[in-house]
Amino acid sequence: MRELLEGSQAVAEAVRLCKPGVISAYPITPQTHIVEELASMVAQGKLKSEFVNVESEHSAASVVLGSVATGVRSFTATSSQGLLLMAEVVFNISGMRLPVVMTCANRAISAPLNIWNDHQDAITVRDSGWIQMHAETIQEALDLHIQAYRIAEAPKIMLPVMVNMDGFILTHGLEVVDVPTQEQVDNFLPAYRPLYKLDVENPLTLGPLVGPEYYMEARFAIQETLKDVLGLIPLIQGEFQKGFGRPSGGLVEPYRIDGAEKVIVAMGSVCGTIKDVVDSLRAKGKKVGCLRVVTYRPFPAAEICRALKDVSRVAVLEKAVSLGSYSPLLSEIRSCFSGKKKSPVISGFVIGLGGRDISLDSIKEVFKRLGPKPVSEEFIDLKPELLVEKI
Amino acid sequence: MADKNNKHLFGSGHTACAGCGQAIAARLAVDVAGANTIIANNTGCLEVFSTAYPQSAWGVPWIHSLFENAAAVASGIEAGLKYLGIKDKINVIAQAGDGGTADIGLQALSGMWERGHDILYICYDNEAYMNCLSLSTLIFTKDGLKKITDIKVGDEIYAFDQKTHQLVLKECSGVFDNGVKEVFELKTRHQAIKATGNHPFLVLKRNGRGRQNVLTWKTLENIKPGDRVVTLKKIEDGSPYKFPEIDKVEKGDYKVNKLNEINIPEQSNPGVMKYLGIFIGDGWRRQGRGEVGFAVPAGKKAREVLLDLHRKIFDSKISEDKEYVYINSVNLIKFIDTLGMGVGAKNKNIPGWVFTLPQEQRESFIEGLMLADGYDLKTSKRYVSANLDLLKRLRLLLQTMDYRVGKIHTQKKLKGALCVKRRLLADSEYGYICFSRKKGKNVKAYPTQSRYADFLVENKFFQTEEVISIESNGLEPTLDLRVEDEHNFIADGIVVHNTGVQRSGLTPFESATSTTPIGAQSVGNPRPKKPMPEIAVAHGVVYVATASAGYPRDIQNKVKKAISLKGPKYIQIHVPCPLGWRHDPQITYDIGKLAVETGLYPLIEYEFGKLTNARKLSQIKPVEEYLKFQGRFKHIMASAELIKQIQAVADYNIDRYGLRAEAAKPSQTQPSNTPSKA
Repeated sequence: MRELLEGSQAVAEAVRLCKPGVISAYPITPQTHIVEELASMVAQGKLKSEFVNVESEHSAASVVLGSVATGVRSFTATSSQGLLLMAEVVFNISGMRLPVVMTCANRAISAPLNIWNDHQDAITVRDSGWIQMHAETIQEALDLHIQAYRIAEAPKIMLPVMVNMDGFILTHGLEVVDVPTQEQVDNFLPAYRPLYKLDVENPLTLGPLVGPEYYMEARFAIQETLKDVLGLIPLIQGEFQKGFGRPSGGLVEPYRIDGAEKVIVAMGSVCGTIKDVVDSLRAKGKKVGCLRVVTYRPFPAAEICRALKDVSRVAVLEKAVSLGSYSPLLSEIRSCFSGKKKSPVISGFVIGLGGRDISLDSIKEVFKRLGPKPVSEEFIDLKPELLVEKI
Repeated sequence: MADKNNKHLFGSGHTACAGCGQAIAARLAVDVAGANTIIANNTGCLEVFSTAYPQSAWGVPWIHSLFENAAAVASGIEAGLKYLGIKDKINVIAQAGDGGTADIGLQALSGMWERGHDILYICYDNEAYMNCLSLSTLIFTKDGLKKITDIKVGDEIYAFDQKTHQLVLKECSGVFDNGVKEVFELKTRHQAIKATGNHPFLVLKRNGRGRQNVLTWKTLENIKPGDRVVTLKKIEDGSPYKFPEIDKVEKGDYKVNKLNEINIPEQSNPGVMKYLGIFIGDGWRRQGRGEVGFAVPAGKKAREVLLDLHRKIFDSKISEDKEYVYINSVNLIKFIDTLGMGVGAKNKNIPGWVFTLPQEQRESFIEGLMLADGYDLKTSKRYVSANLDLLKRLRLLLQTMDYRVGKIHTQKKLKGALCVKRRLLADSEYGYICFSRKKGKNVKAYPTQSRYADFLVENKFFQTEEVISIESNGLEPTLDLRVEDEHNFIADGIVVHNTGVQRSGLTPFESATSTTPIGAQSVGNPRPKKPMPEIAVAHGVVYVATASAGYPRDIQNKVKKAISLKGPKYIQIHVPCPLGWRHDPQITYDIGKLAVETGLYPLIEYEFGKLTNARKLSQIKPVEEYLKFQGRFKHIMASAELIKQIQAVADYNIDRYGLRAEAAKPSQTQPSNTPSKA
């Protein structure tokens, strides 16, 4: 059914259709609307679920850790400082191989305090072992949540998934979306059948102390599983398209890169703006394109290489910085070409931090500055008048 | 995983210390709660000693996530069970130590209480975030051998790398005074160490045919003769020692009109080391006369070597007679004084830096010693000295050079016997040790046999040695060290484990922990205990109780009552920790009882916000009865004023909860320092 929905509402609808038994969250802008919507669904009886109102994000993540360990599908959502506060539990959930699904409404990290969108929060926990996917549109955010449970709960995977959607831009934007029927979702997503759980009939010890004799193997197993995830995601995407008629998700999404000389690589909602600029420049005969990274963890290096191998100049456009070094996506894309015979010139640009508006002109500026020599950490749309040194 | 048919739901075979109150209380609690129980456990002692993968002591489903979130994880479990519709059949218990409850875990616990989850939260209160060696212990450090009393925080100490089995240097991050304790002497064929009964040593565990043997930590009291402990056989080849610069006396200085010109070497070399070896054996120095002398008779080989060395190194004038050699040089005395070798036959010793020298220089040093006081027997060498401390250090030195060394034998010479051409004025004791080069094992030809005889036979630095005896050595003051990363160090040539006990919100007033040490400006933990039971009551928790490992049946009754009620419950169990409180592991129950009987740990119950029960005491004991058995309160036992302050805490509790069995007496002393209840 096609409806005009706010991004947060659309996500709440998707979560409702996945029927989690336990939802726990602590409100934080811009994630609040998602959990408010879910709380009201539970209150109205539209969703049969235990809603646990916790006192912090640390506990929100701990509650879903406990409920998934009990064998119940669970959901939580957070953003920015909330994600950082729960970071300890985030690593713990993936280490314990518990298939939690969490929405991260991407927001800048303080200080200075800023509630607007960039990707610094999700990037900061990229090494945690979570599967991280970035939605471009509200429709895709909705679809990714349904796919997320399929991926996370696959018996061979058993890892948590973080669905990233740009704070405000997607969470508070309005879009006409196709909300699938319960039947469609039920056909695609079977009930959660845990491989292991806290069960008095079969008492297991979860989360023991592990010495140097075993720890490395546990970490290695996650690394290997994440390689399997790279194979699984395209299959899930294909199956989803069959059931729902949309190619949401996947590893990467190339847009008009055939014969392109200059390509911008980016994640999330900014790709919509880039695609518009690509269209207008293509109309003028310029050979440009866009490559959207949908799945950031596990990192789809092979797909990115394949997509970019014939391109001469690549701009990696990021809403995050690794302060003191190259931005994460830039260094990872550069490293996938290391040792390859043919490599594009890869430049890095930082854009839209803390919700700085990204206009069509900003994107055109990136294409303009994408020269034959690689540049790194070029900040787009800086205001020079604010950078005057004051004594 | 634990056997389900096991009588207890908390199995034996966990690795808790002997006499651990927490292990006792945890077993009582889970046995009462029964098999239909799910436990969420915070990080802490209990989690560590009960679930060292791949073993687990738990016979019920059990989960551990982090240090501070058991209450939240349990909330999730409870919500999940509710969703599944089976909550009424299953008890959910969250449990933690006092740090995980009252400090870092308080926020999640407060949330759990406030949301009203049907969970029993048990706090095992050992009053701190939770072993020791005799003061004569010698420690191997980067700067050579040091007495344990001379080790400072920041010193680099040799340790055993438990992964690679190699010798590594680690920083010392703490030195703790552990008070006077009964000390045992553990002896192997070549080594000996004095330590308390609860001090852990690295012991070889044979796993039987076809299985890999492993090294595990065992406390001294659990080690039996025949066990093999890991000992040091060699330390890394060091570098020459740079002698400290001396302020040379010049002609024209005060009282100096004639100067015996002398060369002073800048750093150690084999020649100087041999010379110093002879000095330790036969040398003396007289400050007043500016004289260094050697008791080496003419015609002896030592005289020849000494004269030759002196000319080559110091190149100064020597005078000699039939018995002695004299060198008159203030500067030579100054030089020798900077080397830390001590003065006088009974005090001269091998300085720590000798242990860091290259092997060749250590050998020369031994040669020098042997020239002075040694005997060359056919198959071994013997060194004789009246200085037993010197013998002990020489023995350690030889052990680091891959020699076999026998024990220190002592003998007595009676009054009147001839000794160095003089008659003894009193009976005198002297000792000797015998040593010889180790014969290498033919590992290649007999790999299995060699490895059976010594698990670490191919290791360059360590070996395993059989324990021959363990004997009590009476009461002695003790110290312990904390070492970063590896948590072990090498004491008297044997690998031993370090310590660790830190302060938490439930650490009582004035007790000493490693983060609230005692010093000139501090009498231990400056704050009274956090009133957790009252904080729970303020949250509207339906059942709040305190219990003690000293009263097992009371624990069981309270757990039974708690799980029969719906909603959040809180039980705080006082669990003595022999390691942290420094008491004899055999008196865990008594310590628990004494805390209650003195009024310091009242056993109370609140039901639906009302105090419904407090255990009455027919005879109230003074707090000293409780304090005197514990090392952590040792420092206040000498101060009547400090004891009075602790007594005031007990008196306050007795009055507040009406603990007196007879008719309630009026309040005695209202303490001035705002103590709260236990």
